[in-house]
Amino acid sequence: MANPEERVADSPEARLRLRNRSRETPRRRLVADRAARWVVSAGGIAIIASILGILIFILIEVAPMTFPAKVTLVRQVAVPGASRIGALLADEHRTHVASLDAGGVVRVVRLDDGKEVYSSPALAPVLAGMTVPAQSRAFAAATGDGRVLIKKMEFSVTFQGSDRVVTPDVTPPVFLELDPQHRPLSAFAAQIDDEGAATAAAVLADGKLAVVRRALEKNEMTGESSESLSRAEIAVPGQVTAMVLDPQQRNLYAGTAGGDLLWWPLEGAQPGELKVANAGAPVTALNLLLGGKSLAVGQDNGALSVWFAVRQPDDTQRLERVHEFPRQPAAVRVIAPSQRDKSFLAASGNHLGLFFSTADRTLWTGPAPVANLTAMFYSPKADGAFMAGTGQAGAGTIAELAIANPHPEVTLKSLFGKVWYEGYNEPQYVWQSSGASNDLEPKLSLVPLMAGTLKGTFYSLLLAIPLGVFGAMYTSQFMHPAYKRYLKPVIEIMASLPSVVLGFLAGLWLAPRIERAVPALILALIVLPLTVLLTGYLWNALPRAFRGRFPVGTEVLLFVVTLAGGIWLCVALSRGFEKLAFAGDFQSWLLRSTGLGFDQRNAVVVGLAMGFAVIPIIFAIAEDAFSNVPRNLVAGSLALGANRWQTVTKVVFPTASPGIFSAIMIGFGRAVGETMIVLMATGNTPIMSWNPFNGFRTLSANIAVEIPEAPQGGTLYRTLFLAGLLLFVITFIINTVAELVRQRLRERYSQL
Amino acid sequence: MSVASHSLSGALAGRASRTGTLFGRSPGRTEAMGKALTWLCGGALAFNLLLVIAILTLLAVNGLSYFWQRDLVELDLKDGRKVLGEIWEVEQAAKVKATATQGPEAAIDRIRMKIGNRDVSGLDFVWLDAKDVAARSRPAGVVMLERLEWGNFYGTMAELRRGGRVLASGPEAVWKAFGPLHEQKLRELAKIHDLEKGGIGDVNYEIERLRLAEKKLDLQKLPAAERSRRKAVLDAGLAERQAAYDKLASRLTALRERFSAETLVMRTADGQTKEMAVGTVLQALRPNAMGTLSKLRVYVGRVGELVSQDPRESNTEGGIFPAIFGTVMMVFLMSFAVAPLGVLAALYLREYARQGFLVRLVRIAVNNLAGVPSIVFGMFGLGFFVYLLGGSIDRLFFPESLPAPTFGTGGILWAALTLALLTVPVVIVAAEEGLAAVPRIVREGSLALGATKFETIRRVVVPAAAPGILTGMILAMARAAGEVAPLMIVGMVKLAPALPLDGKPPFLHLERKFMHLGFHIYDVGFQSPNVEATTPLVFATALLLIVVVTLMNLVAISLRNHLRRKYAGSAV
Repeated sequence: MANPEERVADSPEARLRLRNRSRETPRRRLVADRAARWVVSAGGIAIIASILGILIFILIEVAPMTFPAKVTLVRQVAVPGASRIGALLADEHRTHVASLDAGGVVRVVRLDDGKEVYSSPALAPVLAGMTVPAQSRAFAAATGDGRVLIKKMEFSVTFQGSDRVVTPDVTPPVFLELDPQHRPLSAFAAQIDDEGAATAAAVLADGKLAVVRRALEKNEMTGESSESLSRAEIAVPGQVTAMVLDPQQRNLYAGTAGGDLLWWPLEGAQPGELKVANAGAPVTALNLLLGGKSLAVGQDNGALSVWFAVRQPDDTQRLERVHEFPRQPAAVRVIAPSQRDKSFLAASGNHLGLFFSTADRTLWTGPAPVANLTAMFYSPKADGAFMAGTGQAGAGTIAELAIANPHPEVTLKSLFGKVWYEGYNEPQYVWQSSGASNDLEPKLSLVPLMAGTLKGTFYSLLLAIPLGVFGAMYTSQFMHPAYKRYLKPVIEIMASLPSVVLGFLAGLWLAPRIERAVPALILALIVLPLTVLLTGYLWNALPRAFRGRFPVGTEVLLFVVTLAGGIWLCVALSRGFEKLAFAGDFQSWLLRSTGLGFDQRNAVVVGLAMGFAVIPIIFAIAEDAFSNVPRNLVAGSLALGANRWQTVTKVVFPTASPGIFSAIMIGFGRAVGETMIVLMATGNTPIMSWNPFNGFRTLSANIAVEIPEAPQGGTLYRTLFLAGLLLFVITFIINTVAELVRQRLRERYSQL
Repeated sequence: MSVASHSLSGALAGRASRTGTLFGRSPGRTEAMGKALTWLCGGALAFNLLLVIAILTLLAVNGLSYFWQRDLVELDLKDGRKVLGEIWEVEQAAKVKATATQGPEAAIDRIRMKIGNRDVSGLDFVWLDAKDVAARSRPAGVVMLERLEWGNFYGTMAELRRGGRVLASGPEAVWKAFGPLHEQKLRELAKIHDLEKGGIGDVNYEIERLRLAEKKLDLQKLPAAERSRRKAVLDAGLAERQAAYDKLASRLTALRERFSAETLVMRTADGQTKEMAVGTVLQALRPNAMGTLSKLRVYVGRVGELVSQDPRESNTEGGIFPAIFGTVMMVFLMSFAVAPLGVLAALYLREYARQGFLVRLVRIAVNNLAGVPSIVFGMFGLGFFVYLLGGSIDRLFFPESLPAPTFGTGGILWAALTLALLTVPVVIVAAEEGLAAVPRIVREGSLALGATKFETIRRVVVPAAAPGILTGMILAMARAAGEVAPLMIVGMVKLAPALPLDGKPPFLHLERKFMHLGFHIYDVGFQSPNVEATTPLVFATALLLIVVVTLMNLVAISLRNHLRRKYAGSAV
């Protein structure tokens, strides 16, 4: 830098210029300095913000679960020529809607332009009642002459280029004769399956119930199917107002004007034993939710509830009112179930509501888009609904609603409370995210997972706290610094052992051995402390001159050896002890005397492995806290005549206790979030039990197990993110509290 | 200090016992209680040490013995059967569930034996009651074959055939003829591998590339003439590659035929025979006739095989080279991301930000992020990197391969970035500590000499803090090497068909899935169909992982100690 300038610096002006220049920093350097400041600050802030952005991202993923359902009116179309519309159906993509009116005419309307694309000849002269059987794609109607007609109403989709063309399938209807005397029917129900086997039930003019089943027998050789009809007639208690058949055609439900719910199992056409449950006010609407087991019941007084069969103590099944919804303003007239989940629409008067059965949840309520609502259909993809009634275009109007309701099953109660699921005898905490069939509803209670997390944490801390804290106390207070220098790296290595290795050892090496030698484990609780005490006593009995040659703390090395011997002794005595105390077999003894089962991969194994992972964390922080207790306190205590142990317990321990608290908290945080050990060393069964010999599933392992299978944006995906958020928040709070406690402690130490 | 005060305490205790009770209870009893409880605390410490020693020993013994060729033992059972294999374990006084024949008091010695011959007997291992064994011997002529498929074979050599012709028969003659033939077959095997991986792999890669280009062409809006011209070029290329492929394939078939021309007939201990192609044998040994030295040679060879070979038979045999490679590469990628980020953030926090409440809060937050469960980071990585970023990249740059995702699925890049997020707090904390340890006088000296703040940081502070930063980096790498849970959901697979780094442009394939040592342990140990047979391999893998992680940590620890000593001396 200096060379060229020296040469120029001959003239006085140049010399002056040089002097001025050398005093101030060149601009280039200043600019660089400022740029660096700017870059580092911006970069630093950006990095820190993006790290903290993790929390925000997780929140964004979780948030949609809390959004309310959105229901909006898309359009109203008039169906010209239709008299009272009694049933509606639509295709998957909500492009066409089919209606059946009292005149017996099926009309299909294209929604885009409101044009009628198909209309059938009248199927029957006058229809008394019309419906869409639960979870089917068919119209069913009762004729004025004692018959029930069932007409399948499918839409076939073809592609012309990239345009989707939807055409209604026009198959002829099936007629089932319920009343041979051709009297008009009152309440009726019908059901048809994919092959065409159908059942219909109706109340005849004389008040009797008739059931007809049309069974199909397929001839394997010719491929032709032959039809066989069967009919049964029984008496009914009360005046039936609504009736419904389940999709399997095995159960018939009816509601009466007396407020009774009647339930017959069907064997072919033959109704079995009747079971009656009283619901109170007259039943006005009845339908089956997805799965065909939950019965949604609407009543004259506006009561709305869901019922299903519950096993009674005497091992019989009875219908019970399981879910109850707020009283509607008027009698419930129509209930339309979703084909995707357990939600349903219910109309009462001019009031419309969207409900979710399992979570007892009212998702949305509002005015019905049409007056005098006569029919309602929840679209197959559960993204919309259709209702017929009197609208802007007069009678025979169909209104289309769009429904956005992506996560109906998640509420605070369903995540953290007991939920009464279909097929269970009582409300329970259940985690079962997927099942064999699509009908099985996801059960997303986080409680068993949280209980599992706490269980694993509890057993691991049971091991880690005493070993970590007391080990640290000994190291800092009773050990010669020469040993400490070697001890610390050992503990750090202990901390660095990958948890996958610990999990592997716990699951494949330790678990089978513990299974064989639980009595040894119990023995160890007594034998190992005794071994230590005995070794200490013997060491103490050695002549002082000999002991004095070793630094303080040497006995620990001795303990290592004798403890190994103690463990060997426990294993060797295990069989004998098992014979003596547990009648030869611990597992059957456990089952016999406490009723607890035994899994090979259980909480004890996890406790040992995860305890091992947590010990070094607790140890390091506790050791720090003990070592930093000001020396003048210790010296003062000793000077007052306290012995070493008294000083440690009465002075050092209380002073360091906030530090020990934070050590335990941080250890807790680590155990809560540990994944691999739990994943490998437990059976990962989401059950709630405090039995130490059972497996469990933790929040973290649950994420690892389920998130690869969870569709992005689905309820399970978001619920798992919620579990992750819980973990994040719990550990973050715990660590922050621990950190603040430590900082306060450090300040206090510096003042002492 | 501790020693001095200890002797002091003794003196004081003695005094207290003379002058009466200072702390309430009778001093003698307190003293004894204190001693006992002190021992128990020492016992806790000793137990911790014992645990560490036990785990390391367990891993070392099991991991290292995996490579050692045991002698083959032939057991004559009392019921006349003969069993040949390696004795793995003798369980003394094993508890067997009470059965009708043995009564409830069944405590017997059991022998676990690896009998191999999975294709003949169906089982790799058997448990035998020691009391059923009539005689045991170590016949010198028995052979152990390590095979490409079906695991090991134990037995005697019976015949060597080519086509229908017998080349040699009888154990000794076959053993002699087998050696040179086997060497030739191994060379042929290498040739087949070269052809499969090299020639055919390259052609397949080209074909796939051309197919994608064609698909991309369909997505582009181009004039019809231009489109058909380009299409013709692609089709010509495709046809050419297809022809090349067919040629290579027929060559491969010919090689394969020659390869499996010679067969070896083996006889098991109980007299069954099994014919197998000579080429499917990887190694043939007569363990009982081997000296310690030749066993050692086999041992070293097997260690080499483990670290350099691809896995075979759905990871249960062969090497773990791809897992080692994947781990190392992922850690390196992560370091490239984490080093600048961590250092920049630390520089800001320590040197540029105004030290106040907010910075203190941020520091605590960053510190605590290191305690957030790793699975949460994995979940974030899946949601943010894979689905959001990867999905967008796919839509923008790789529309031709959709719906099959390119970046929109787990891959090594996302895994590295996820781990970078996970470990950046470690680096920030360590780097900050390093920066804080640089004495103020050093900075002030630099500033006084006229350097700007940035120059001071660049030339004085950062070099002085480099060991601290390095410590943080090594700790971060060690943590990343051992971390599995987040990677399980952002990019690891049990068997990656191709390494993320190879000779095909663009050489570094950041979107590829990869294998990882830690995940290998989980997968082979828990998801494999034959856990019993693979456990030793898992032990060896775990040992390797532990050695790597521990070495990294030891380096970091010593570096940090060195650093602390250095500044403890210089900071006055």
